[in-house]
Amino acid sequence: MSEIKNNNTAEKDFGKKVGDFLRNNSVPIMFVIICAICIPISGFSPSYLLNEIMTRMGRNTFLILCLLIPIMAGMGLNFGMTLGAMAGEIGLILVADWQIWGIPGVVLAMIISIPISVLLGLLCGKILNMAKGREMVTSYIISYFINGLYQLVVLYMMGPIIPIKHSAIKLPRGYGIRNTVSLLNMRQCIDNLIAVNIKGVKIPVLTLILIALLCFFIIWFRKTKLGQDMRAVGQDMQVARDAGINVERTRIISIVMSTVLAGFGMILYLQNMGNLSTYSSHSQIGMFCIAALLVGGASVDKASIGNVFLGVTLFHLMFIVAPAAGAKITGDSMIGEYFRVFVSYGVITVALTMYEAKKRKMKSMLGAQLALEQKEETK
Amino acid sequence: MKSKRAWLFRGLTVLALLLIAAVMFIIGRGHTVYIDNKNIDYNGQTYKGPYKVVVTVDGEQVAKLYNKDRGMAKCIGQKFEMLLAITQEKGGEEVNMGVTMTLPYSMDGIVVNLPALLAGLPQDAYLSEFVSAIPEEPVEEDVVTDEFGIPDAEGEVLPEA
Repeated sequence: MSEIKNNNTAEKDFGKKVGDFLRNNSVPIMFVIICAICIPISGFSPSYLLNEIMTRMGRNTFLILCLLIPIMAGMGLNFGMTLGAMAGEIGLILVADWQIWGIPGVVLAMIISIPISVLLGLLCGKILNMAKGREMVTSYIISYFINGLYQLVVLYMMGPIIPIKHSAIKLPRGYGIRNTVSLLNMRQCIDNLIAVNIKGVKIPVLTLILIALLCFFIIWFRKTKLGQDMRAVGQDMQVARDAGINVERTRIISIVMSTVLAGFGMILYLQNMGNLSTYSSHSQIGMFCIAALLVGGASVDKASIGNVFLGVTLFHLMFIVAPAAGAKITGDSMIGEYFRVFVSYGVITVALTMYEAKKRKMKSMLGAQLALEQKEETK
Repeated sequence: MKSKRAWLFRGLTVLALLLIAAVMFIIGRGHTVYIDNKNIDYNGQTYKGPYKVVVTVDGEQVAKLYNKDRGMAKCIGQKFEMLLAITQEKGGEEVNMGVTMTLPYSMDGIVVNLPALLAGLPQDAYLSEFVSAIPEEPVEEDVVTDEFGIPDAEGEVLPEA
């Protein structure tokens, strides 16, 4: 009798575990299914897909990793990473005008982006401290606000105030930067430096080393005093404050770090692309990075390095196969394009809704528990 | 004491970054080198170019120049090294020659005249700044900073600048 009961309990536990697993990983599972359906329809060869995934992994992973630090500090998904991207772009514009090519150009652009990123990160962090609990929407709007400043600098100050020499970069009117800046002289300089070709799949070893270094840095950083402080702030700000942690400062540092790393990531991204779309390169980058992270199974309050890699793989696999699959099914590749845009924004919406629903559920459960305890006390 | 050390550390970091930036600024300066195999007049004397010159830079053949031809190579840094395989006359013997020169930092495009270089003339004779012969027509460019691309009444996307 007791054996049957034990079996029933074990089955229930297993069922609960499976249910929890499916619930917690619903987004990655959904994407695995989409990719599994689209890959055979698209007709792409495995080596082509691997090559594309490898390129996109090298291009995007650094940018997505920079989102982990603010999540650790409980500030949610940092839509303000666009600020760092703008700083990186300013660095690249200057370096392109000074004709610094190759890896030195990339390094110099990164160094130029640091002070700009730090300043923008400080500003963003200070504003986010004034809008605690509403960090994501605030950082999203800050990115628009700073985009206006960026346009002021790039469109009007570059030329008369910040010297720009080359006519290939400057607008014909004599000031402002052209819509596109060529980065041909530094195109894939990092990706190609130690590149290995295995059966037609190009592996950008140096880029992957840089990504690995950032991963190790994040793992190490979590164990440092500041990293522990960030995690404490992320779990409960009041408890962290009572424990003597300077909550505001810790939150600002997390945003500054994320912004600086986003600047570096944007430079790596653009050196891979080989050209810079001055007024639009940064505008959607935050959205796509956040979507990729969420596809990897991360949530607003919890994200890991594993989520980043899974997210990049699944999200970009969908990006590659969806247009071709759409073209095969409907005869119109635009259907696939619409589909991937719809999925990118949709996944963010679903993730944010799920997070809020989960938070409310937890709150109501805590409330019910408290009510039960109070009821028992009065008895 | 701790704060003093922290400030010292920060100062040293900034200094190191500035130093790296300065080094990158120097070693990363890119130049486009145009290699001319054209006859040149210098001090009233004409220096004729060889029949054929094969130019190799960084182990890669960048140009095969017959008389009056121009080749191009890209160079990062101020030190430019090239290997020339020179054939003076048609059917003649090929002679290899290594050339190393320091490029001026201020010039983006540099023209190197091979006959002047091979004749051992001074730098101002064989090295000059590249100036495009075709004057660039200023073409107005609409800068669209409105990512929504909202069209106006006539269906044109409004340029914000």
